[in-house]
Amino acid sequence: MINLLNGISDTTSALNAERTRMDVISQNIANVNTARDIDGRPFQRRQVVFETVLNQQQALAGAGTGETGVRVARIEKDQRPPRLVFDPGHPNADENGIVAMPNINIHEEMADLIVASRAFEANLAVVRNARAMAVQTLMIGKH
Amino acid sequence: MIDALFSQPNYAAVKKLLDATSLRHEAIARNLANLETPHYQRVDVAPSFTTSLRQAIISHDAAQIQAIEPSIVTDATASPLGHDGNTVDLEAELVKLNENTVAHALETQLMTGQLLRLRLAITGRPV
Amino acid sequence: MSPLSALRSASAPDFRILSLPKAAVTSGQAISYRELETIGNLPPATAPPPSAKAGAAGGSFESTLGQMVADVNGRQAAASETAAALLSGQNVPLHQAMIAMEEASVSFQLMVEVRNRLLESYQELMRMQV
Repeated sequence: MINLLNGISDTTSALNAERTRMDVISQNIANVNTARDIDGRPFQRRQVVFETVLNQQQALAGAGTGETGVRVARIEKDQRPPRLVFDPGHPNADENGIVAMPNINIHEEMADLIVASRAFEANLAVVRNARAMAVQTLMIGKH
Repeated sequence: MIDALFSQPNYAAVKKLLDATSLRHEAIARNLANLETPHYQRVDVAPSFTTSLRQAIISHDAAQIQAIEPSIVTDATASPLGHDGNTVDLEAELVKLNENTVAHALETQLMTGQLLRLRLAITGRPV
Repeated sequence: MSPLSALRSASAPDFRILSLPKAAVTSGQAISYRELETIGNLPPATAPPPSAKAGAAGGSFESTLGQMVADVNGRQAAASETAAALLSGQNVPLHQAMIAMEEASVSFQLMVEVRNRLLESYQELMRMQV
């Protein structure tokens, strides 16, 4: 595969990782009221953890620093306790009328979503600039 | 004899700058890719490259210019923002990205100018 | 200013005062061809490879020309190698490939012009009335 744009492996992996993050956030938002998940407990907020990866094989083969990238290391469950809501009429209410609802805060999720989409846009800007630079490079020597 | 054509200090300097600009774009791409990675330290082209290149240009020594190589190092002056130890500032990084793209456009123009001038000197006719 | 002399001033060689070898002057003998060649032996603008220096010191125009052809050939080979590496996906920066190709093209153009000038000079020589 021709390597025309420098650093493109970082950017493509970041775009994928941010998409995954946005998917997880959408899942959280969709499940804000899911009092009973598959395991019987309220839905636990999911969050992604990113990590940088270095393509070790390429680094060893002497191709400079090797290709780097970002990936989602794991999707972990937020261990904060569930929200306790007083709702006696709810099917899941216990003897005190308290229902355990997911530990998801809509405002927090929206803020995270905005951050994720800004990061996504930033990486798109990197690709745009890389392409502009490549076009300029191809015109070296031509008047 | 052919090497003498391309061993002028100015020509060598523009070539080196192009290498550095392309490397800086890689560094910025890596920084923006790792915007959300915990404890990530931003990287950039080594500042020693800029100073040594400036010295070499002032001394008009093409061999010295050609000997300098740019490299990507961790930016020691960046401080962590936010709680996860990440030192990448989105707005600053985007500004650097655009500046770098403009610098690259300038350098390719300079390079094209040098090459066209060489051709003019050789053939006596504008290309 | 002819193109080749423009080229020479662009590469700004280090000028020395041309002088005849002392021995020939003081002894009053006819200056040999070899001594004449050493007079015009200007050093190149940058450190050339040893073979080029040997060629220049040898003084033969043919060897200089041969050296130039070899240089141009080397540059063409390097350019196509870089382009091949780029196409095969290796980590070659695009600008290096472009610049290598342009340099090869400029070198080739120089060689073609030198050839043209040589041909012109030869033809002019042949036209001279004996």
